[in-house]
Amino acid sequence: MQDIQGIANFLDDLMGGLQLIAYCIAIGSVLWTLRVLRPASSDAPPSVHSIALRLLVRSAWALAITQLVEIVMKGIVIAATLDELPLAYAGTVQFIAGTVRILLAIALGAAAGRVARNPRDANAWKTLYGMSVALIVCGAWLVHAVGRFEYRELLMSITVLHQLAAAVWFGGVAQLVLLWRLSQRDPAAWVFWPQAVARFSILGIWSVAGLLLSGSVLAWVYVGAWDGLVGTGYGSLVITKVILLAVALGLAWLNFRSGKAWKERGDTRDVTTKTPFFIEAESFVLISILFVAATLSSQPPAVDIPNLTATPVEVAQMFMPRIPEMESPSHAELMAGEIGRIAIVNKVPSVAGAQWSNFNHNTAGIFLTTMGILAMLSYSRRFPWAKYWPAGFVGLAIFLFFRSDAETWPMGPMGFWESTFGNGEVLQHRMATFLALGLGVMEVKTRARENLHQRLIYLFPMLCAFGGILLLTHAHSEFELKTEFLIQSTHTVMGLLAVLMATGRWLELRLASPVGRTCGFLSICMMTVIGLNLLFYYEPVW
Amino acid sequence: MKTAMHRILFPRWPLFLLALYLAALPARSVHAHAVVTAHTLQEQPVKPGQPTAVALFFNSTIEFSLSKVQLVSGNDVHHTVPIKAGKKRGELLIELPALEAGNYALKYKVFAADGHLTEDVLRFRVAP
Repeated sequence: MQDIQGIANFLDDLMGGLQLIAYCIAIGSVLWTLRVLRPASSDAPPSVHSIALRLLVRSAWALAITQLVEIVMKGIVIAATLDELPLAYAGTVQFIAGTVRILLAIALGAAAGRVARNPRDANAWKTLYGMSVALIVCGAWLVHAVGRFEYRELLMSITVLHQLAAAVWFGGVAQLVLLWRLSQRDPAAWVFWPQAVARFSILGIWSVAGLLLSGSVLAWVYVGAWDGLVGTGYGSLVITKVILLAVALGLAWLNFRSGKAWKERGDTRDVTTKTPFFIEAESFVLISILFVAATLSSQPPAVDIPNLTATPVEVAQMFMPRIPEMESPSHAELMAGEIGRIAIVNKVPSVAGAQWSNFNHNTAGIFLTTMGILAMLSYSRRFPWAKYWPAGFVGLAIFLFFRSDAETWPMGPMGFWESTFGNGEVLQHRMATFLALGLGVMEVKTRARENLHQRLIYLFPMLCAFGGILLLTHAHSEFELKTEFLIQSTHTVMGLLAVLMATGRWLELRLASPVGRTCGFLSICMMTVIGLNLLFYYEPVW
Repeated sequence: MKTAMHRILFPRWPLFLLALYLAALPARSVHAHAVVTAHTLQEQPVKPGQPTAVALFFNSTIEFSLSKVQLVSGNDVHHTVPIKAGKKRGELLIELPALEAGNYALKYKVFAADGHLTEDVLRFRVAP
């Protein structure tokens, strides 16, 4: 039952992020058709209208499905907790608002389908806009402000405006990615591309202004103090969001500049050779921001936990350079300490547990830092052998295999097959190890420019971004809120760096040198910093 | 032949690996949007041998009928205890049975109005 609850919790988390993405694409697409494609004018080709509406329909369906899955998952979690699913669940705000959202999303998708079939149907357009407004308003009962005691309605409204601004930006970026792909095979879409970039830039400025304004108010209310910003999970995620937002804004500014150059001088160079790839990278960053935003809603606001807030000095200590732990406690010592560490009532912090974890993290840091240095050398022609640096992932995978599950073969008493197929967590670790191994082999082939399938070269940045998002979104606190936050603070930084690393690598693969090469080198710098972070990792005893 | 095989197999590889990666994600996740901001265990400690009502105050509206509190005694033995809504907003009342002197914990899982499940532990001692 515990396993089901764990998986249901995880899916609930994942659905939160996916739902936000689907919502943003759906609502953003409505505004895209209204302000960029402008149905009243006829300058956007029919094929562009068609793909925009198709994306709108699919995102509306995705919103309905993810919301349904979330309702079901919450039901499973409650049933696992209470050993039954009380009827009262159907009377909760979340169930009712969630069900209404499902119906509205289906109605929005149907309306978009009608518009796609008959673009001159004025009633279909009115229904589309009406459903969009209803969907936006309905979201107010699905945000965490709904449970607050102070300024409830005000916070619900501001959060809705914040989501709307995010939807305009991300939905527009998603449409631009799709439009670029269409323009590669459709001359009419190719002609319309610079116009779309220029028009969206104006819309983007307004959405960013709305995002910053509403976000500042929410941060002010929920964080409350500078200490809360630095010393809590909520605050650190707000900082992460701001940094990612700055990166996304930088990319958006480059696109704005390209659009302006086309509009003023008819210069199409940047808008066709750089902008599409900056937009792809921007979408990476924006997806990460949306997952962070979804995670924020499951964190206790910093303003509510002043007694559990870490001081800036405590947080800084987590990142201080120190001599790595190169000696691991024995397996027997670790196991002896585990009994007391996992006890609820008479809990005894385990020194061996912390040392074991330090050794694992610090050794992984040696692997990554070495790989980072070799990767930097690989940018010089004097070290051609350094391009094989991803082989370090293979070594890391072997290390993880031996150290990630102390109670299993070959370290512990549980057999290999028994532990792999008898314990969900061990199975997950084994699969992660297998993936690290596979990625190492694949990336060696990519860097060595061996004949590899074109799509496979993008797998590395995609998985890096995914891993980064995972580190950022799993910043949940367990029983010891402050200690857990201190541990998580290092992982949050690594998650942020992993997303930036992925963005840099993606741009390296997409852009021509020297810009692409510079992005790639910066990406490697991020990996090295992650390695250093792991090398100096220190876990408080708990 | 090899090209045809590549066309069939390779476009599916990234999806397969992503699916594998998704499956490999750790399933540890405890939501904690709602937190206890105050409780009565410090001001009114539990006395041995007599039933006691303990109040927890949350920072958020709680769905009481979908929440559960367990009393955990010395050897981590769990007993579900009755709960009800208090008079104040976010107040959860727990009815503890008569307890002997020793160390205990209250392990609670509450469903907040915003849809997040919070799981946490509150340790306390019953002095002789």
